[in-house]
Amino acid sequence: MNRLRIPIPLLLFPLAAACGGGEEPTAPPADKVAAEVPDAIEIAAPTNRVVEMEFVEEYSEEVANRMVDFADKLRRRDFGAAADWLVDDFAGHRFSDLPIEGEDELPLGAKRTRWDTSDAPVVDRDAFLEGLRAHVGPWKRVEAVVWKVKGAEFETRPLWGKVRLKILFQGTGADGGPRELVAWAEARFDKRAGNWMLARLALESLKLESRDAFLFTDVSTSTGVAHSGIRFGQPGNDSFAWNGAAAGDVDGDGLYDLFVPSNQRNFLYMARVDDAGRLAFVDEAGKRGVDGPSGGSGAAFFDFDRDGDQDLALADVGWEGAEGTVGGNPLRFYRNDGGSFAEVGEELGFRRLCYGYSLVVFDYDLDGFLDVFVCNYGRPKAEPNNSWVDATNGMSNILFRNDGGKRFVDVTEEAGVVDNRWTYAAAAADFDLDGDQDLYLANDYAENAFWRNKGDGTFEDAADDLGVRDLGNGMGAAFGDLDNDGHLDLYVANMSSTAGNRILRRLQNQDEAARSLTKMAAGNTIFLCRAGDGNGAHPSFEALPAAAGGIGGAWAWSVALADLDLDGRLDVFNANGFVTGDTAADT
Amino acid sequence: MASTIDVEKEAGVATAQEVNSQAYLSLHNGQMFTDGLSFSGHERDKLWLNTGAGFADLSALSGTDSPNDGRAVIACDFDDDGDVDLFVHNIQRERHGLYRNDVGGEGFVKVRLRATSTNPEAVGAIVVLTGPHGPTAQVLSRGAGFVSCQAPELVFGLGGQEAAELEVIWPGGVRESFGSVGAGARVELVEGSGEGEPLAARPRVLPDPLPPGLRLEEGDVVPKLAVLDADGNPRVLDVRAVGDGKPVMLNFWASYCDPCVKEIPDLQAIDDKGEQRVVAISMDAPGQVATAESLLARRGGSYPAYYLGAKADGDAVPVEELVDLLRLPLPTTLVLSAEGRVETILRGPIRED
Repeated sequence: MNRLRIPIPLLLFPLAAACGGGEEPTAPPADKVAAEVPDAIEIAAPTNRVVEMEFVEEYSEEVANRMVDFADKLRRRDFGAAADWLVDDFAGHRFSDLPIEGEDELPLGAKRTRWDTSDAPVVDRDAFLEGLRAHVGPWKRVEAVVWKVKGAEFETRPLWGKVRLKILFQGTGADGGPRELVAWAEARFDKRAGNWMLARLALESLKLESRDAFLFTDVSTSTGVAHSGIRFGQPGNDSFAWNGAAAGDVDGDGLYDLFVPSNQRNFLYMARVDDAGRLAFVDEAGKRGVDGPSGGSGAAFFDFDRDGDQDLALADVGWEGAEGTVGGNPLRFYRNDGGSFAEVGEELGFRRLCYGYSLVVFDYDLDGFLDVFVCNYGRPKAEPNNSWVDATNGMSNILFRNDGGKRFVDVTEEAGVVDNRWTYAAAAADFDLDGDQDLYLANDYAENAFWRNKGDGTFEDAADDLGVRDLGNGMGAAFGDLDNDGHLDLYVANMSSTAGNRILRRLQNQDEAARSLTKMAAGNTIFLCRAGDGNGAHPSFEALPAAAGGIGGAWAWSVALADLDLDGRLDVFNANGFVTGDTAADT
Repeated sequence: MASTIDVEKEAGVATAQEVNSQAYLSLHNGQMFTDGLSFSGHERDKLWLNTGAGFADLSALSGTDSPNDGRAVIACDFDDDGDVDLFVHNIQRERHGLYRNDVGGEGFVKVRLRATSTNPEAVGAIVVLTGPHGPTAQVLSRGAGFVSCQAPELVFGLGGQEAAELEVIWPGGVRESFGSVGAGARVELVEGSGEGEPLAARPRVLPDPLPPGLRLEEGDVVPKLAVLDADGNPRVLDVRAVGDGKPVMLNFWASYCDPCVKEIPDLQAIDDKGEQRVVAISMDAPGQVATAESLLARRGGSYPAYYLGAKADGDAVPVEELVDLLRLPLPTTLVLSAEGRVETILRGPIRED
């Protein structure tokens, strides 16, 4: 390793000692010598900037992936190994022993401590790592460490980059309560001997959020639902027909059971209470006849024949192969007969080969029998989407009318809901309070639809009128009153992309296409319903500004709106993440 | 589902069709996932609390922010204690996550519904509860979010209020008031009755889990352990032999863990008394073993200390199979009987200061 500067006192020291005679001079070994630290951290902007976007992105990715490995060492609190990611003459602001700038109260007794970083001391590599250790050393456990590249520009020669970092440590404190340490920093990375090395770090902000206990406890193992499968991408778990979940009381004992379709095997978790009042779940999929064929995406419990028990509809992805073979699985329908199920999809007219994902059960024609809407996607292996912003080559959604609990009739055409966009999800509610249920659709690669129920058995798309087109990669939707005005608002889960946003911010020319893409990469949307008149008729929707929060997810999937803290306001829980592999680095 | 490269190319470098043929197809052919690569991976589930002024991101403090690529979400009060628990179906190894809500208290109203003029399950009914922050509307759905179907029950928080007014907008549009309902009530609202029918409270317990990272329960016998000594030589640790008829404290610690280092003299004092033997296993990485060893010596720890990294040896299992290294809270100490049975699991320091 090259040492760039040797401090002058060190050079003089052996000489002085030699003159004194006496004891043998012992200069500190070279690798223990602290590099001289500058008085301040100044990271100038590059003067000969790399302008080609693909190179900027390539370098950004390289730095990002280096930080993934660095973060992994920090997660293991292996500070000795972590030192290898910093140049020997590193200098940066110390994270520890800073004056407290303020403390904020967060909901449910959580609190945020903010430190004043304006006069943070500049320290060398070892002291910098010691500063990190001072924060997370006392923790019981470090769950995650992320050093995320939020923006970067690079100098051509020699190659170095000015990088904006979001730094996050998450874990459990010494008291068993949750901790999240978040810093923002400006850093300089030098490319030395083929590796990006952290050379300077200027701390912009530092805060710690904490609480004396987690809000929730993971009881998967103690309640019998901890199913440890195989990593996604391995045989047996490699289907893109994403498996869903449905809750309902299968055996009428007043406890909610769970049906969980799965690539390898399906689960029917029956809730059971022991003599001590402990609740656990026992898988009875086989015993109750819902174990095969395994797999399935959206599932829904409801009483289709009004005999008082919960039947089960199951969506899936299936197609006709060569010479009449069937690929994947058709839609299935399980009739509940005394707590056990019989698959009767064929006789009910529900069996269908389609690219089904979410199911929405609602009574669109108010005849008292619940109908089923099937959200159909496309099948990329057969025919990729024909556009990234207006894909129209998916399979049409299907509306099944329930005729008196005797059969299902495909009324997609007569109801006017033929739509070949790639629909992942939908949600039904009478948002305009005219008595019938309307249907909002979240589409991937396209704008969304809002099928307004006209009350005569047909629908019309009112998304434009209502301002809820919401261009994005729609993944999920739910209705709930998020602003306590008594009217149902709409939450739309979309895919957002850190890399996409990073790239898009670099675009000089913000034309229509770039604006569309920026919207697509932005994330979820909250549409607040504004009542047109006092009774809620003729409402319109208004997107909640991003500053209000609640929408900055990642690659978002299902969303549930529920009052999780019982404060009288509906909160948001949103599943996230596409595919996490064995590598810590991301694509 | 545009990838990084797709978004970039869409911005003018290549047409969507060209992109289709490359990154997109490789994505959907799944090869990259077979190879174990990530694509928008390590993204954690999100929990936002509505403060009235906006949404506070409490994901990291919630204990629900799993990185297992969640798809379906069920929000349901499984244990009937009045707060909403969460079930998440993930696509990764730990596929089914059940999170018990520990908010607790009596500040809730739970509602089940029965319609008489339309579908009996009242799917589509909107329930409005007028609470401390104004009215809150929820719709009874069967299928919403993404591939998820919620239970037919709605839970409302009262925010400290003693009681609240309930109104239902039934499918078909008829509005019906159900008057005032008190905190902690579980009611069935039947269309046309105008009054909530009380349902018996049947709270159940979703039991506490094992401590994270530890694959031993109280009552289990600790197997023979394959460990390394400070010089890196493989050893077999049999806690029964170490105890030689006495109970043993098996202490998991690490040099970077301040509370662990702090309690070394306490552990030594216990060992010195002679009624219990102390054995330590360090979670330090191989490069840190020397640091750990010298720290132990400096703090006066002379009880047997071992390190990670040994391979299975006969019936001795590596320590790594007993604990999940990244999830084990430190320090953790197992109090063992002379027979090597786990009697108590101490999470955190053995003594509160």
